[in-house]
Amino acid sequence: MAGYIVKRIAVAILTLLVIICITFLLMNAVPGSPFLTEKSTPEMIARANAKYGLDKPLYVQLFNYIKNYARGDLGTSLKMQEGTSVSKIIFHQGKFALSLKLGLYALLLAVVIGIPLGCIAAYNRGKWIDGFLRVVTTVGVAVPTFVLATLLLVTFAVKLQKLPTLSGSLPDFKSYVMPVISLSFYYTCYVAKLTRTSMLDAINQDYIRTARAKGVKTRALILKHALRNSLIPVITYLGPVMAGIITGSFVVESTFSIPGLGKYFVQSVLSRDYPVIMATTVVLSALVILMNLVVDIAYKIVDPRITLTSKED
Amino acid sequence: MDGKFAKLSPFQVDPDKIPPVLPPLTEEDFSPAADEEKASMVEKHKSVSYWRDAWRRFRANTVSMVALAVFTLCLLFAFVGPKLIPYSYGDQYRSSQKLAPFTYSKGEETVRSIAGSCDGFYATALQRGSITALSKGDYFIRYKGRTYAFTLTKAVEKSVIILNSGAEEPLIVVKESAIKNGEYKDYKPIEFTDTPAEGATEIKLVNRVFPHVFGTDSAGRDIMARTMYGTRVSIIIGVVAALIVLVIGSIYGAISGLSGGAVDFVMMRIVELIYSIPEVLIVLLLQVVLKDPLQNWFDTSTSAFAQGLGDLGSGIVSIFITFALLYWVTMARIVRGQVLQLKQQEYVTAATALGAANGRIIRRHLLPNCVGQLVITTCLQIPSAIFLESFLSFLGLGVSAPMASLGSLCSDALETLSLYPYRLIFPGVILTVVVLTLNLVGDGLRDALDPRLKK
Amino acid sequence: MDEKKTLLEVKDLKVSFFTPAGEVKAVNGISYTLGYNEVMGIVGESGSGKSVEAYSIIGLLQSPGKVVGGTIEFEGENLLEYDEEKMRQFRGNKVSMIFQNPMTCLNPVYTIGNQLVEALLCHDKGYTKEQARKRAIEMLELVGINNAEKRIDQYPHEFSGGMRQRAMIAMALICEPKLLIADEPTTALDVTIQAQILELMKALQKKENTSIIFITHNLGVVAEICDRVSVMYAGHIVEQGPVNDIFYNPQHPYTKGLLASTPRLDEEGKERLIPIEGTPIDLLNPPQGCNFGPRCRDCMKICLREKPPFAEVGEGHISACWLHFRDQAGKEDRT
Repeated sequence: MAGYIVKRIAVAILTLLVIICITFLLMNAVPGSPFLTEKSTPEMIARANAKYGLDKPLYVQLFNYIKNYARGDLGTSLKMQEGTSVSKIIFHQGKFALSLKLGLYALLLAVVIGIPLGCIAAYNRGKWIDGFLRVVTTVGVAVPTFVLATLLLVTFAVKLQKLPTLSGSLPDFKSYVMPVISLSFYYTCYVAKLTRTSMLDAINQDYIRTARAKGVKTRALILKHALRNSLIPVITYLGPVMAGIITGSFVVESTFSIPGLGKYFVQSVLSRDYPVIMATTVVLSALVILMNLVVDIAYKIVDPRITLTSKED
Repeated sequence: MDGKFAKLSPFQVDPDKIPPVLPPLTEEDFSPAADEEKASMVEKHKSVSYWRDAWRRFRANTVSMVALAVFTLCLLFAFVGPKLIPYSYGDQYRSSQKLAPFTYSKGEETVRSIAGSCDGFYATALQRGSITALSKGDYFIRYKGRTYAFTLTKAVEKSVIILNSGAEEPLIVVKESAIKNGEYKDYKPIEFTDTPAEGATEIKLVNRVFPHVFGTDSAGRDIMARTMYGTRVSIIIGVVAALIVLVIGSIYGAISGLSGGAVDFVMMRIVELIYSIPEVLIVLLLQVVLKDPLQNWFDTSTSAFAQGLGDLGSGIVSIFITFALLYWVTMARIVRGQVLQLKQQEYVTAATALGAANGRIIRRHLLPNCVGQLVITTCLQIPSAIFLESFLSFLGLGVSAPMASLGSLCSDALETLSLYPYRLIFPGVILTVVVLTLNLVGDGLRDALDPRLKK
Repeated sequence: MDEKKTLLEVKDLKVSFFTPAGEVKAVNGISYTLGYNEVMGIVGESGSGKSVEAYSIIGLLQSPGKVVGGTIEFEGENLLEYDEEKMRQFRGNKVSMIFQNPMTCLNPVYTIGNQLVEALLCHDKGYTKEQARKRAIEMLELVGINNAEKRIDQYPHEFSGGMRQRAMIAMALICEPKLLIADEPTTALDVTIQAQILELMKALQKKENTSIIFITHNLGVVAEICDRVSVMYAGHIVEQGPVNDIFYNPQHPYTKGLLASTPRLDEEGKERLIPIEGTPIDLLNPPQGCNFGPRCRDCMKICLREKPPFAEVGEGHISACWLHFRDQAGKEDRT
């Protein structure tokens, strides 16, 4: 188990390194300089380049990035908040915490609502409630986050005036409602669908027949025997969910004007603030990779068959 | 067993025959039956081809059939629709700004009131013309007892109208303000010639009056025309992206699976690495990075290929590149899995043992067995590509105006969301419907093509 | 041991599967009785309805399968009239079942002990958890699992196939059922393990006084363990009788065919195996006459027209074939 975790962490670090390299190369593939404006003279650009080390050879720049990241230094913003350390912007100005909170609540909602809904549907297979949930979840996975977010905004904030239009830094419960719902709705539906499918799959397994032959009550059949087995694919899906929630946060944070990491990332990409792009990419990727690691370990807890030594498919 | 057992058991299959009764029996009954007679008792099961059987299963799936029908409607909306309405996605009609759904601009309203019973198609004889020396605005032409309307988006100098076909009467050109209660006041006839006068500007006539079903936007563009166009763009992006993924993924997966050994190992580690990269971050970067170089290339290159891509715009092309770079991994895994599984099947071993060439094995055995999976995965890739494109366009990175996709239309609607929520709702609903129906069709295909998956 | 008293009586049981293509009559009117402490073998090729028949006894038939006729009486009570809860109490308690593939029949995410204890606790027999665990350990020891104290906390994937089948048997017998239905319990196992499991079942049957319905397509296994044998073909019982009669004096052409196609060690000089020609019939469109007719070497005209009745061919030995009625031709008096 410990060996496996070490190995996984090594792979995770390697992945992060690759991501840093790709991001770096992509950024430098863009022609022009981040300092190129209508007013700037070649001397000014050269001076700025020298100041931020952009005049050095690419591999030196890349090496510096990696070295600094290893030390926990995420660099300095070139444009958006010129001269400010990126780690200060991300962590101390609360952007990371804000996005993380939003993301975790959305993940929690997707799991806490999605799994029971899936169970209810599977348990009542073929009845009206199953049909109803199937319609809702099928439609739910076809509604893009931004459509849902904006519709919620128009309905509850603009027309009914029940909830705040701008969620800001999420000061109270009310400001959380719409961002979290729009962020998690797709995944709630997906988790519910997945749970239903894998639950039905589990119900058809031989061991369920054995349990029925033993005289196990239907409720225990579902909640004990089928559920735990059917959770395995759901847990596998939680890694992609986390990645997806981060993606969704770009849209949701823009729509509800939440000054989080997602919005910040989009802004940094649009304004080509190299160190900020690099740093946010690394932080967000690290989050996703960490989530995948957690999922792999959660796997072990649910499924005793997985020995965590090899994972070939 | 010569008769000594001929005692009926009281223990019979058919309870109606208890107490047991034998039917009248003759010697003939105990003569041996001929083989043909025996064979005739066994009804042969008709064997059905894979595709026919799959189609039968798909047809039996009501939900998928309905989804297919609705998706076909979406296709008609996107590809045939633009031919049926007189507006195009890029045209700006100055007097038609910010109209609510199912309304006409003031000018169009007037034409409707003049035209009376004639609603819709007007100027077949006046498809095109030139007009000069007129200021901007909506005009109406009275010709042979009929009224035609057109819009000038900029002022022109000379007052000549040219008709495509030889018209006999002078046209009457009036300014919109000259019409009151369906009557013309203060109009003057305008000369027309058959050939374009020197310096004459060609203008487009609003030759049909059609309601703005989805309303118009702030620039006076018809939202339905834009939505139709956006749907088309989104569907094309989805299909092309899915095909790119299909081609790259299957080639990569097939090579990996067929080679095996070290090649397979390295190729699969690469796949795993790409898999664990949060792709949307990279996608966003790629969108920005590729924008300028692509635009440069389109502007400088003279090749037809570059021109064709240039017409699509850098946003769309970079979406394709993104898919080609990052999104094929799932497909590659599926294909590799299929290949590995099939490699172990007896019939492939048998074919190899019989000396069939590799190419033949791939063609005759591997492909037909993979094809179901490929169709399903590709079909389900389309909605996910549409999703990604709409997401990028929503963030302002995908297609750029005057082009439209469903995502960019939603994004455009954001600014005026509280005043005109329908501008978001129409493209949003169509986007949802397209993705929903494609998902359902994909599910139906999976059930139909891969019966093993269905319990 | 009172062999005459009836534990289970199945009368004219009919089970159909309602598929999109039509009604498949998987079991089409079978009847038999099973005494206390008796081992009955049900033999037939796959698709003959032998498992379906067993599932309907224990109430495990899944949609689209449905009992469409007949009765199943267990100690005088018609099981088909039981409601769901009563049937649940009955399952595992009075009748239990073991299945073909021990690899997939145990829940992979729970320990063996957990699953054994569950079997005991879901029938209110007044066991506390500790007592149940103790009983589970006893049962594991009984089925020959060494080191049961430790083994009980292991997961199924830590057990070998034979061990799992032993655990399955322990689980099936933990409530001391009167009837054990064994659905091909040895088919998925290695030959040596097969023999061990059969020995175990034989020993336990004697010890626990349980009746067994033993479903298999393997005649060797039947000879090993059964008192009586029913041979099924296409949803019907074609021949039924004491195990020795079936083996040494088979009457129905299908049984003869089965025996001829099975390798035997006790009969020397019979080297060639003779397969039964043709394939089983399509149960969607069963033939009008005898189901076996189209494959039968001795098929007669009547066989294609009428279903054969049973003839009593020996003591407790019946066979459904027109061949037994050949001398009845033309006779008026038929009883």
